[in-house]
Amino acid sequence: MNVFLVALGGGAGAVGRYLLGLWIKDRMPQKKIPTAMLFVNLTGSLGLGLFFGFIYNEVPILAYNDPLFLLVGIGFFGAFTTFSTFSIETSALLQKKKWPEAALYTALTIGGSIAVFLTGMTLMTLF
Amino acid sequence: MKSKLLVIAAVFAGGAAGTLLRYVINLQTITLLFPLGTIIENLAGSLLLGFLTGWVLVKMVPSFVKEGLGVGFCGGFTTMSTLAADTVFLTEGGSLYMAGLYLIISLTGGVTLAIAGMALGQHAAHKKREAGEGA
Repeated sequence: MNVFLVALGGGAGAVGRYLLGLWIKDRMPQKKIPTAMLFVNLTGSLGLGLFFGFIYNEVPILAYNDPLFLLVGIGFFGAFTTFSTFSIETSALLQKKKWPEAALYTALTIGGSIAVFLTGMTLMTLF
Repeated sequence: MKSKLLVIAAVFAGGAAGTLLRYVINLQTITLLFPLGTIIENLAGSLLLGFLTGWVLVKMVPSFVKEGLGVGFCGGFTTMSTLAADTVFLTEGGSLYMAGLYLIISLTGGVTLAIAGMALGQHAAHKKREAGEGA
């Protein structure tokens, strides 16, 4: 059962990331930095923060028997966001010697993901 | 339309498989107070996506295979939201040093392995193509 929930959430999260990424690329120029994956990662990190704050009031660490944590936390938001594409896009900027763009993309992705996650979680602990 | 559905199905299957593997690795490393599992997943996934990216620069791959493995598997295997959660967890535990170390390992490791993976993938695909032409 746990395995099924993880797979279901993960599959849905990956498809959601793919479709949202395509949708953004159609509407937003990807000139300086890859804004599509930046936006996807920020959205997913905010979502995970809201979810954790609402259900657990904290970052749950020992929730691996909780079906909701597996489906939504590990599955959906885990797969909706991605690190591998971020690594590839950053290394592509570095290889083109676009240092400021690489630094900006890294700072916005990492710093931004942490900030929106924390904001979402803190906001939801108020309820 | 049919091919777009095939790609979406492949992304779903790849994402499900990558997420399952991430879950299994997390279970093995859950007793540690440092999020080693997420580091392993994010670094290995960056290497793998690098390899795939390098490979498809040289050799044609059907788009459902490319997106299924890249967007689906590698994307689902690695995660940014858990990285954010891990960092907040380490910081709240009072361990700013550990949070900094975690981010530095993830970042430098991910980018370095992505570059290495790309070079390896291109090399492997060239070799495969040459072997094919020689036959």
